[in-house]
Amino acid sequence: MSSASADLHQMASLGRLLARIVHEINTPLASIFSNNEVLTRSMANLGPLLADGSPEALAKARRIVAACADLTAVDKIACERIRGIISGMKTFARLDSSEPRVIDLNRHLRDTIKLTEAEFRGRVAVETDLADLPEVECYPQMLSQVILNLLVNAGQAIEGGGAIRVRTHRDGNMAHITISDTGRGMTDEQKTRAFEAGYTTKPIGEGTGLGLSIAREIIEQKHGGSIRFESELGKGTTFHILLPIRQTRSSQ
Amino acid sequence: MNNNGDNRASVLLVDDEDMIITSIRAFLQLETDFAINAFTDPEEAANFVKSNQIDVVVSDYLMPKMNGIQLLSRVKEAQPEASRVLLTGHADKQSAIQAINQVSLFQYLEKPWDNQQLLLVVQSGAERARLFRDLREKVGELDSAHSSLKTVQKRLIEAFL
Repeated sequence: MSSASADLHQMASLGRLLARIVHEINTPLASIFSNNEVLTRSMANLGPLLADGSPEALAKARRIVAACADLTAVDKIACERIRGIISGMKTFARLDSSEPRVIDLNRHLRDTIKLTEAEFRGRVAVETDLADLPEVECYPQMLSQVILNLLVNAGQAIEGGGAIRVRTHRDGNMAHITISDTGRGMTDEQKTRAFEAGYTTKPIGEGTGLGLSIAREIIEQKHGGSIRFESELGKGTTFHILLPIRQTRSSQ
Repeated sequence: MNNNGDNRASVLLVDDEDMIITSIRAFLQLETDFAINAFTDPEEAANFVKSNQIDVVVSDYLMPKMNGIQLLSRVKEAQPEASRVLLTGHADKQSAIQAINQVSLFQYLEKPWDNQQLLLVVQSGAERARLFRDLREKVGELDSAHSSLKTVQKRLIEAFL
């Protein structure tokens, strides 16, 4: 595959990712904005009520304080939500050096999964079952790209509601990641052509058909690992990624 | 104004995000005496409007199960007088146009919203719904007055023939 088309694909998926992230940050932000105004007004209302000092005024003041406490609790949740999104982005945006890095793979997967919450919005639940793993030597950003791609594909394969299961375990000197969905599965033709560059089942404009071919390039060429899948029509698809725990080959 | 003496306007809030509901509810409670009902599940909201009169509905767009446009068209079916407001974080003009055409929205607002604007929209939406309902009542009264007049007229004619 040409690196120009790979770049194009990366830009398109990055654009979609950004749009989702903007949307996801917007909700807690809107809430914080509104709450801040309500809190400011409530403060202004409290002064006269406390100065009044009558039982009715004090009762009203207590109600306002209780309402404000609820809003500050919401603000905390909203801020934590934004922080979670930002921390996921940091992982994704960290520039890859030309050398592989040693990382906590499970944590890396969790951060990447966080980025998909905006896309799935409760429609698809992502469940994790992550076993104890030694630190894995890899190219983290590229790996994120692959995982994100598989998760988004899995989500798109699920019509209505469903679940994606991400599991890790150690398999000798390899780390084994599986991503299973309860989606529509693939036909025989789709199975044969899945890794083919330019092949897509998505409507024009939604998929470039490059995701899986790039995924294979990243896992096999760059990491010396392997990627394969099994799929049953109407039941779902499971992808398996095997990554060497240590990179023995010199990087390209 | 209702005959039962409760003249509070009724607002329905629907958003799959709890935090949005909490924020808007807190604001409206501070600024108005409106009766507020809120749901994070649009299906429940659609059931609610079948048996509860509302004046204004403020709905999110992107929700699991049912989107805001689908919900608002169900509200329109059940209570055509209710003012329909879409509050969306989806910065997509296409959905706005679709909503305005399909369910004849009263207002389209974007997140993050401006509280004063939201207040104005909810107040004028409630006013509008009441005017519509009053109008329908008056038209009904006129209709029945008209038909009883006709009956009287018919009897009169019959008496003189």
